[in-house]
Amino acid sequence: MGKENIVIGLEVGTSKVCAVVGETKHDGTIRILGVGQAPSRGVRKGEIVDFETASKCVREALVDAEEKSDVMIGSVFLAITGGHMDAFNNRGAVNLPEDRDEICEEDFEDVQTSAREVSIPKDNMFVHSILQHYYVDGQDGVLNPIGMLGRRLEADFHIIHGVSNRIRNSVRCVKEVGPEVLDVVFSPLATAQVVLDQNQKALGALVVDMGGGTTDYVVYVDGAVKQSGSLPLGGDHITNDISLGLRIPMAKAEKIKVEEGSVVLGNCLPGETVTLKDETGFAGKEIEREMLHNIIHCRVRETFELLKRRLDTDNYLHFLGAGMMLTGGCSQLKGIQHLAEDVFGLPVRVTHAQTVSGLTSAFENPQFSTAIGLIKYAEATQPIRQRGFFSRLRQRIPFLGF
Amino acid sequence: MIDLQRHQLSAITPEFRIKVVGLGGAGCNALDRLVLDGVPGAELVAMNADAQALAGSVATQKIQLGRTTTRGLGAGGDPEIGYSAAEESLDEVRSTLSGAQMVFLCVGLGGGTGSGGARLIGSVAREHGALVVAFATMPFTFEGRRRMAQAEEALAALQSVSDVVICFDNDRMGDAVSPRAAIQEAFAAADHTISQSVRAIASLATQKGIIQIGFDELAMALRGASRGGSRCLFGSGEADGDNRAHEALERALKCPLMDKGKMLGDAQSVLVNVSGGTTMTLNEVQILMDEFNRHISDTTQILFGTSVDPKLGQKMSVTIISAIGVAPSAEAVRPIAHAQPAAMIPRAAEPEAEDPKERTADISYATTDPISLASPEAVAAALAANPLADDGTSNLSNVARIAAAKKAAREAKQEQMQFEPITRGRFEKSEPTIVDGQDLDVPTFLRRNLKIR
Repeated sequence: MGKENIVIGLEVGTSKVCAVVGETKHDGTIRILGVGQAPSRGVRKGEIVDFETASKCVREALVDAEEKSDVMIGSVFLAITGGHMDAFNNRGAVNLPEDRDEICEEDFEDVQTSAREVSIPKDNMFVHSILQHYYVDGQDGVLNPIGMLGRRLEADFHIIHGVSNRIRNSVRCVKEVGPEVLDVVFSPLATAQVVLDQNQKALGALVVDMGGGTTDYVVYVDGAVKQSGSLPLGGDHITNDISLGLRIPMAKAEKIKVEEGSVVLGNCLPGETVTLKDETGFAGKEIEREMLHNIIHCRVRETFELLKRRLDTDNYLHFLGAGMMLTGGCSQLKGIQHLAEDVFGLPVRVTHAQTVSGLTSAFENPQFSTAIGLIKYAEATQPIRQRGFFSRLRQRIPFLGF
Repeated sequence: MIDLQRHQLSAITPEFRIKVVGLGGAGCNALDRLVLDGVPGAELVAMNADAQALAGSVATQKIQLGRTTTRGLGAGGDPEIGYSAAEESLDEVRSTLSGAQMVFLCVGLGGGTGSGGARLIGSVAREHGALVVAFATMPFTFEGRRRMAQAEEALAALQSVSDVVICFDNDRMGDAVSPRAAIQEAFAAADHTISQSVRAIASLATQKGIIQIGFDELAMALRGASRGGSRCLFGSGEADGDNRAHEALERALKCPLMDKGKMLGDAQSVLVNVSGGTTMTLNEVQILMDEFNRHISDTTQILFGTSVDPKLGQKMSVTIISAIGVAPSAEAVRPIAHAQPAAMIPRAAEPEAEDPKERTADISYATTDPISLASPEAVAAALAANPLADDGTSNLSNVARIAAAKKAAREAKQEQMQFEPITRGRFEKSEPTIVDGQDLDVPTFLRRNLKIR
């Protein structure tokens, strides 16, 4: 029985490392064969701080995935994130040579190179250049200019860059364990591949992946990526706040956040308490529920407000016809949808990976959105990859443009 | 500063006379509001140079200032004219104010009658030995710099003749109402706030408390407000029902000048008076003060008073008064208004205090040592101890309490110096995330000063 095309998505997150094994089919659908995960250590705010420990966790997750899916893992797609990732929009332009007026593939490379002719910090490297729109001789709305006649080709790109050493560290960490890293992908882009469908991208949507260490976001307007980035704030901060505020250990704080956490204020009876169970299962410390909710509410609201301020700089929030999609572990907090609606003034949906088949329990969990997204991303880029003779960077352009 | 009058809880002694004067256009508007709201035991007098405006006032007593100077017109925004108008009618004013032990002077500064006449009226009231509490409204900034300068000059003059000046900033009043509210609503809200504070202070001064608040405390709480540019914080709330302590405080903090308690953190000293019907319990007072303490910083002095007023029935009422200065220096902390009370208080206290000597002694504590006032815990302890102490030992326990409070205040201050708690928990060793000067790894509730039990 031929498994058509096995792709492994690996996300080294702050709270967990997860490896999703998926099968991409010729008709574009993907099927999840298995999910391996391991609790993550040595990662803070989405970046590796303890190399050896993180490597061990990656190994655990990969072994787990191999066992569950019965697939040998030889190569992975790796998601990267962290507060150091930055992005901007820029336009590149090339004039066609005098003796030619038909636009051909070579011109794409030139236009992209010219779009990258901007200064980024010298420690940074380009991760993605995502095509937004083409212009031929100043005429916009061109979807595919190959074969068109023109004198001047321009293109808008969304360019994502990050600190190169940190990105290389993530790659090294995985390579140390064994598998080849086929490509690195900025997390929210991967997430958006499975959370949004083509229609929502065209209408305009904001995807917010609130994970353990970071809150990653990407804005699609008119089918193109307009803004993306990562806030180094996430579920870990909530847990830390709870732990400090209620003076309980991190592990208990995490447990109580997952089991009782809510961002809704004024919804509990005065004096209502949550009982913290000790190791033996007997009732331990009593915690005032309102306090717990208040701590979580403050942090989540602040995170959203910060995010809104970032998004407001480019004013795309008014063009999001499909609203906001909230995913990632923190999206499971009770009432977070309404808080997000309140802060952003957009219709908000808590969502998970769509348009996949296979292990239901895997893709219905918003914690796996990014790892599954990697598979979709790979599926979108792979047909070209198999042709094998283009440079890797060029291959991404036409396929991430949607 | 704390006197024990548990047996004598009657509200206003009949011979204690309060007069409320509304001076000038703004003052009369505020006074009209007061007439409608009612101030128990007070006589309300409207004074204005503008005969037409005066005729429209609903106050029972009216004095037209400067009949010949302005011929029934207003002072036209000129303090000089306002001054001479008030001077002309000085005899009439004098006879009206004679016999009052306390004079509240409501005045809008920046115009003619108010700015010019305030000092004269204040000093006349003083001549009669009354305590003068001025409620001054500063003009809107958009009214121009000239008017603001006039107002500030008048405010300084007013301070020299008043025991306490409570200053309201019109710009702030505008914030109190929604931007869509009609202009008359905005002004009505301002008048209402003044009216509320007049009534609250009148009852503070006249009620006998278990822990009494005197004028020294009031002056102390407002000492930040005595200069221009400062802000008066005032809030008062009443509530009944099971959760009355919580609700009363909440309502007090919702008052427009209170800014939801956000500014309280910056205040050096805050006056809090809690009064309630006979059913008020110590526990409720403690709950209320605990909650209140979350809004202030550790170094803030709390000038705490509590009283039982049978008229309140099942209700509890909280009054919060404070002021925030621009940059109070050690010297500026004792302006004229503050230096006076030590001399003035015994006179006012005579009808109410059993032992004026003891009171003066306490007051001298309050005025000479700015940190002698009790920390909340010490006051709560004092309140708890009060019913147990008998009258004979109260003097002794009073002194002991003050000493203890003093010590507590000092200790609290030291503690503050010793550690600056910046807690980052598990992010202690990671690279900080700084946005807008805030370290986002520090819990949000800590940065926002939310107290978590």
